Amino acid sequence: MKVSVLTFGEVADIVNASSFDLKDVEDTDTLKQLLEDKFPRLKETRYAVAVDKKIVNQNVTLEDASIVALLPPFSGG
Amino acid sequence: MPDKKPKDIFIEGPVNPQFISDSIAQHSTKTSIGAHSIFLGQVRNDVINGNEVTAIDYTAYREMCLEKMQAIREEIFAKYPLTCMHIHHSLGKVKAGEISLFVFTSSAHRKAAIDSCEEVVERIKAELPVWGKEIFDDSSYQWKKNNIN
Repeated sequence: MKVSVLTFGEVADIVNASSFDLKDVEDTDTLKQLLEDKFPRLKETRYAVAVDKKIVNQNVTLEDASIVALLPPFSGG
Repeated sequence: MPDKKPKDIFIEGPVNPQFISDSIAQHSTKTSIGAHSIFLGQVRNDVINGNEVTAIDYTAYREMCLEKMQAIREEIFAKYPLTCMHIHHSLGKVKAGEISLFVFTSSAHRKAAIDSCEEVVERIKAELPVWGKEIFDDSSYQWKKNNIN
């Protein structure tokens, strides 16, 4: 199974990509851990996680074609 | 899924003052309206550590924004007796002094227009996944932070 990851703002700067795919990531906690291991600066960054455009506050199981977005604090307007 | 396609709120670059004026003029046929309230967000040239903000470059998680905005729109219309509401937010680069947010509410009497306009502006800033990159005069940048009350 494959999930799409979208990143924005400071998170996109840190991972140096605005979208990429990841294979066989079971849930959002695993995904966060994987990225934080690879990009340690993420650990010091505040960001929310959205799965299929809904912000999730707990660990969520991912499915094939899930879209996971990493959202730093909003600053529109 | 929403049963209808959400309205697009985004425009590329700054909100042109002529567009704002045209939007006001378009309401002259809606004669049940007695009050308009308008909020305009303008890019401010903050000075941070000696560097001046010359522009803000906006990006958004577009699909999520439009769904969220549709939900906010429905809640606002349920709460206030509005005739109409229009929202336009910039994407891409907006220079200091230019307009990046245009919120326009109309109602029969002023209180609904004024209160709903303020509430929508606050909700846009707090809830829409939009990010502003503040570009300084030396080409460096920082990610803008909103003051959420």
